Amino acid sequence: MIRLLHTADWQIGKCYGQFGPDEAALLAEARFNTVERLAALALERQVDLVLVAGDVFDAQGVSDKTIHRLFHAMRGYAGPWLLIPGNHDAGLAESVWTRAARLTAIPDNVHVCLNAEPLLLETLGVAILPAPLTQRHTYNDLTEWFSGADTLAGMLRIGLAHGSVQGILAEEIDSANPIAAGRAEQARLDYLALGDWHGTKQVDARTWYSGTPEPDRFKANDSGQALLVELAGPGESAVVTPITTGQYLWQSLTMMLQVASDIDQVLSQLADFGQTDVVKLVLSGQTDLAGYRRLQASISQAQGRARCLQADLSALRLEPTDEDIDAIQADGYLGEVIAELRAGQDGAEAELARDALTLLAGILDARRAEAAS
Amino acid sequence: MKLTRLRIEQFKQFRQPFEIADFTTGLNLFTGPNEAGKSTIVAAIRAAFFERHRSSSVDDLRPWGDASASPSVELDFTLGATSYRLGKRFLGKKRCELQAGSQHLDGVEAEDHLAELFGFQHAGKGASKAEHWGIPGLLWIQQGSAQELRDPVSHATDHLRSVLNTTLGEIASSSGDEVLAKVEALRNELLTTSTGKPRGAYQQALEQTATLEATLQNLDIDIAAYCDKVDRLATLRREHTADAAEQPWTAFRQQEHAATASLEAIRQVETALQADRQRAGQIASQIPLLRGQLETFVSQEQAVATRKTALESMQQNCLAQDALVGQWQTRALAATTHHDAAREILRLARQEATRREHAKQLDEFKRKRETTADALTRAEAEQAALTALHKQLVETEIDPKDLNTLKTQQSELRELRIRRDTVATRLRFALTDGSRIEIGQESVTGSGDRLLTETTRVTLPGLGQLEITPGGTDLAELGRQEQALSDKHVALLQRLGLASLEAAEARHLSHTQHQAEARTAAATLKALAPKGIEALRAEQAGHDARAGEIEQALARLPFAPENMSERPAVAQAEAEATEASARQSLDQINQQLNEARLAAGNAQTAHESAARELAAAQAVLDAPDRAARQSAANQNLVDARAEQDSLAERIDARARQVAEANPDLLQQDVERFGTSAGQLEKQHAERRDILMRLEVELHTTGAQGLEERRSEVARDLEHVRRRSNELQRRAQALDHLLTLLRDKRAVLTRKLQAPLQKHLNRYLQLLFPHASLDIDETLTPGPLTRPGSHGAEISLFEELSFGAREQMGVISRLAYADLLREADRPTLILLDDALVHSDGARLAQMKRLLFDAATRHQILLFTCHPEKWRDLGVGARSLETLRASNNAG
Repeated sequence: MIRLLHTADWQIGKCYGQFGPDEAALLAEARFNTVERLAALALERQVDLVLVAGDVFDAQGVSDKTIHRLFHAMRGYAGPWLLIPGNHDAGLAESVWTRAARLTAIPDNVHVCLNAEPLLLETLGVAILPAPLTQRHTYNDLTEWFSGADTLAGMLRIGLAHGSVQGILAEEIDSANPIAAGRAEQARLDYLALGDWHGTKQVDARTWYSGTPEPDRFKANDSGQALLVELAGPGESAVVTPITTGQYLWQSLTMMLQVASDIDQVLSQLADFGQTDVVKLVLSGQTDLAGYRRLQASISQAQGRARCLQADLSALRLEPTDEDIDAIQADGYLGEVIAELRAGQDGAEAELARDALTLLAGILDARRAEAAS
Repeated sequence: MKLTRLRIEQFKQFRQPFEIADFTTGLNLFTGPNEAGKSTIVAAIRAAFFERHRSSSVDDLRPWGDASASPSVELDFTLGATSYRLGKRFLGKKRCELQAGSQHLDGVEAEDHLAELFGFQHAGKGASKAEHWGIPGLLWIQQGSAQELRDPVSHATDHLRSVLNTTLGEIASSSGDEVLAKVEALRNELLTTSTGKPRGAYQQALEQTATLEATLQNLDIDIAAYCDKVDRLATLRREHTADAAEQPWTAFRQQEHAATASLEAIRQVETALQADRQRAGQIASQIPLLRGQLETFVSQEQAVATRKTALESMQQNCLAQDALVGQWQTRALAATTHHDAAREILRLARQEATRREHAKQLDEFKRKRETTADALTRAEAEQAALTALHKQLVETEIDPKDLNTLKTQQSELRELRIRRDTVATRLRFALTDGSRIEIGQESVTGSGDRLLTETTRVTLPGLGQLEITPGGTDLAELGRQEQALSDKHVALLQRLGLASLEAAEARHLSHTQHQAEARTAAATLKALAPKGIEALRAEQAGHDARAGEIEQALARLPFAPENMSERPAVAQAEAEATEASARQSLDQINQQLNEARLAAGNAQTAHESAARELAAAQAVLDAPDRAARQSAANQNLVDARAEQDSLAERIDARARQVAEANPDLLQQDVERFGTSAGQLEKQHAERRDILMRLEVELHTTGAQGLEERRSEVARDLEHVRRRSNELQRRAQALDHLLTLLRDKRAVLTRKLQAPLQKHLNRYLQLLFPHASLDIDETLTPGPLTRPGSHGAEISLFEELSFGAREQMGVISRLAYADLLREADRPTLILLDDALVHSDGARLAQMKRLLFDAATRHQILLFTCHPEKWRDLGVGARSLETLRASNNAG
C-alpha cells in the first residue's frame, strides 16, 4: 500500500497586478506558506512520496532568493519529493532548475526529473515515469514513451506529466503540450498525476489533475486542494481524496442593483467577508444617493476586513431622489446641474456624467456633514 | 413710500426749526440759490437714516459755532398702508424714536428696523460711510455725483440681489458659488487652469506609468534576449555533442595526410629531375669548351706554319729596303758637293758688295764732316759776340719801375716847391750897398728876395735881430713833405748808382739798343746750330768716328779674287738663286734617304719579331705533354656527348612522371583537406568557447531574476495605470462638472438680471433710441451699444461724456427704483442739483423720464436753476420763501 500526495502548479514567484502592491505581496507570500502546509500535510498523513506535476515556478527568471525560499519551504517533509518541469518552468538548456542546482538549493530528498526516463524507487516498489517539458511549448505527447517503458513486475507504475488531456478539457486551456486521453490505461499506469489545470479534476479512474494548492484567480474552479492518493498495489484501483490546502478564498461577487433591498443584500454579503477572502465586487444597475453612500461605507469597511477587495462600481447608475436633493441642499442651479447629470447617465457620455454626479454628490454631502457638525 | 413731512431744528443752517409739511407724491421741486439750505435738507434726511443717534462723529450737523446745539430731524412717511414717524436727535440730547403704525421702537432697535426696511447698514464705529449706505445711497443722489454709478451700485448689490432673488423665487442657489469654487479647486489640482493639461498627482501618475512602461519594455527585451540565448545554448550544445561524437574533421585529416604523402613522393622526383637538368646544363656548357680546347691544338700548328711564311717575307723586305738606302746615300753625296760649290760662289759675291758699300759711306761721312766744321766755326764766333752783348745788357739794365718812380718823384718835388714858394713869406731886401745882413746863416747883400719858409732869424748887424716866422701852417708841412720826398729821390738814385734822372734815362736807352743787337746775334746762332754748339760739336765727333770705323772695315776686307765679275751685285743675286736650288735638292734627297733608312729599320724589327713569334709558336708545339692533353681532350668530348644523351632520356621520363602526378593539384588537395579539417576543428573549439561564454552569461543574467522583476514591474505598472485612469476619470468628471456649473450659473445670472434689464431698457429707449445696455454680474450697467454711422458702436460707461454719464446714472437709478418698487421695497429718490451738464435736448428727455418715474416714485429735486425745470409740470417751491414762512410761523 503506497500513499502519496499529488500536487501541481505552485506558480512560485507569481505577482498579482490587479491588486495594490501590499496586497499583491501578501498573496505572493501565501504561495510559500502553502508549500509549507503541503510539507506539513505530507508529514501528518505519513505519505510515502510527494508528486509535483509541473509549474513549480511561475517563471524561469525568478530571483535566487525565491529559489532558496521555495526549497526551504519544502523542508517540513523529509521523504522523497518528485518534481517535473511544466510549461512555466520548462527544463531548458538553462532553466530555473539548472540554476537551482548551481545554487545547491535542492535538498537530497527532492528529485527533479529533467529526463524522460523511469525513476525507480525500489524500496517503495514504485517506478516513476516522468514526462518533463524540455521546451516551453511542445505539440508532441511527451507521455508517449510511457507505454513502451517496461518496469519490473510487481512495481507500481506512476506517471507524472504536465499538459492538456486531449478532448476533455476546454479548448482554450493550454492546448499545447497535449496528453492523449486514456494514457493511464494504455501505458498500464497505476496512477497518472497531472498538472497544468488549476482546478482539481478527475480525468479517469487513474488520472487526476490535482489543481493548484493555493487559488490564484477568481474563476470558480475548485482550486486550493491537493490529492491524497492511496494505491493498494499494481493493478488495484486508486483511492483519491482531495484535501483543502488553500489559504485564501477567491470570490467574485457580481450583482445588479434594482431595488433598495438589493443594497441590503450586498451589504450583508460584504459584512461576511473576512481575513481569508479575496473578493472582486462588480455592481451594476442603479441606486439613489443614500444607497450609494451606504454602499461606499460598507465597501470601505469590508476592505479593512477582507484580505483583498476590489470594487467595480463603474456600471452602477446614480439616481438621486428628491429627498436626496433636499438632503444635500442642492437648490438653485446646482439642482439643475444634478438633473442634467442624472439625465446624462443615459447618454453617450454616461460614465462621465456618472462620475461627475458622484463627485458633486460627494462634495455636497461633505458640505452638509460639515454644516451639521 | 411717501415722505409727508420734514422738520429740522438746530441743524446746520437751520438754527431755528424748519418744517416742510406738504410733500406731495411724485415730483417735488425745491429751488433756491446757493446757501439757501437745499443740501442741508438732504443732509438731514441722510443723517436721520444713516447716522446712529448715539454717534459722536456728527459734530458737523450742529449749526456753526453752536457747541451746545442738539441737531434734530423729524420725518413723517408712509409705506404701503403704514404711517411712520421718525424722530432723531443727535449729540446733546441723543434720542431716536420710530412710530411705525401702532408699533413704537426706540434707539438702536428703531435704527436697525429702518436699516432692514430700507436696505442699508450702520457704521460700526464713527460716521457712516458710502459703503454702508446700500440702496438709499444709490437712490439719493448727492450734489455733483449723479455720474458716479459703479461704487454706489456695488454697495447696494447684495440688497438688490436679494430683491431679485425674492422676485425670482427659488432658482438661485444658496451655496452654488461655493460648490463651484470647490469643484474648480479640485479640478485645478489635476488639470492646469488654462490649458487643461494634467498636473499634480495626475501628471505624476502618468509619468510613473511612462517610466514603468519603459522599464517593462526594457525587461521584456532583456528577457527575450535571455530566452534566445537559452535556445541558442540548447542548439549549440546539441551541435557540439553531435560534433564531438562524429568528429567530421578526422576524415579530412586522413585525406590531407594521403595527399601530403603523394605530394612528397612527386617532390622527390622533381628534385631528381632538377638535378638531371642541372647536370645536363653543365655538360651542355662543357662540350663547347672541350671543342674549343681541341680547336686550340689545331690552331697552334697552323700558327707555326703561318709564322714561318711571315718570317720569310720579312727577310725579303729587309733586303729590299737596305738596297734602297744605298741608292739614296749616293745621291745625297753628289747633292752635297754641288751645294758646297754654290755656297762658295755666293760668299765671294757678298764680300765684294760689302766693300763697295763701305767706300760709298766713307765718302759721305767725309763730306758731312767738312760741312759741320764750317758751321761750328761760325757758330762759335756768333756765340762770343752774343756773350759780350749779354754782358753789356746786364750793365745797362735799369728797372723801368725805378725809372718811373724817379720820374714821378721829380714831378712831385717840382709841384711841392711851387706850392711852397706860393705860400712862403717873401723877404725882399734891398740893402744899401755894403750893408750886410744875415738871413739865417746866409749873409746877404744887395738886393734880392728870399722866400722864407721857416722861422728865420735875420740879423741886422748892429741893429739886432729879426725873427721872421712865415705865416700859415702849410709851409712847414710842405717843407717837410718836400724834404721827405727829396730824401727818397736821392736814396733811389744812390741805389741805382746814378746821378740824376737824366742819367737814368740815358742808360735805359742804351739798354734797349743792346737788347736789339742781342736778339739778332741769337737768331744767327740759332740758324747755324739749331741744337746748340755742343750738339754740333758732337755731330762732328760722330762723323769722325764713323768714318774711322768704315776705314777700318775696309782695311780688314780680303782682297777680291781675280775672276771676280765687274758687276758683283748681279753676281750675288745669281749666286743666291743657285745656292737655294742646290740646297733644296739636297734637302729632298736627304728626306728620301731618311725615309728609306726608317723603312729599312722597320723591316728589320718586323723580321726580328716574326722570328721571335715563330720561336714561341714552335715552343708550344714542342711542349712534351701536348699530345697527351690533346688525346685526353678528345676522350672527354666523347664522354660528355654520351652522358648528354643519357641525361636527355632520363629528364624526359621524369618530366612526364611529374606532369602526370600534377603536384599543384596535390598541393591544393593538401590545403583544401587541411583547411576543411582546421575549420571544423576551429568551429568546434569556437562553439565550445561560445558555449562557455553563453553559460556564464546565462548564469549571470539568470541570477538577476528578470522575470520575477518583470512581474513585479508589471504589477506596479498595472497599479499605476489604474490610478492614472482613476485620476483621469476624476479630472474629466470635475472638468465636466465645472463647465456644467458655470453654464448653469451664467444662465441663471442672465435670468436674474432680466427684470432690471427690462426697466433699464425702457428708460434707455427714451434717451438713446435703439441703444442697448448690458448688465454685468454686479448688476452695474456695462457697455452701451448704439447704432452708429458705421454699424453698432460700443462704448464703456467710463468712456461716455460727463453729461451722458450723468444721464445714465440717473436712468439707472430710476430702473433700480422700479425694480425695488416691484419688490415692495421703499423707494425715495433725491436729486440734488443733478443733470446740470445736460444739453437742452437731453434735459428735455430727462424731464420726460423723471415725470414718468414720478408716477411710481416720490422724487425730491433740488435746484439752483429754477428756470430749467419750469416745464417739469410741478410747481417749484422756493426754499427762501419756505424759510421765511417758517420763521414767520
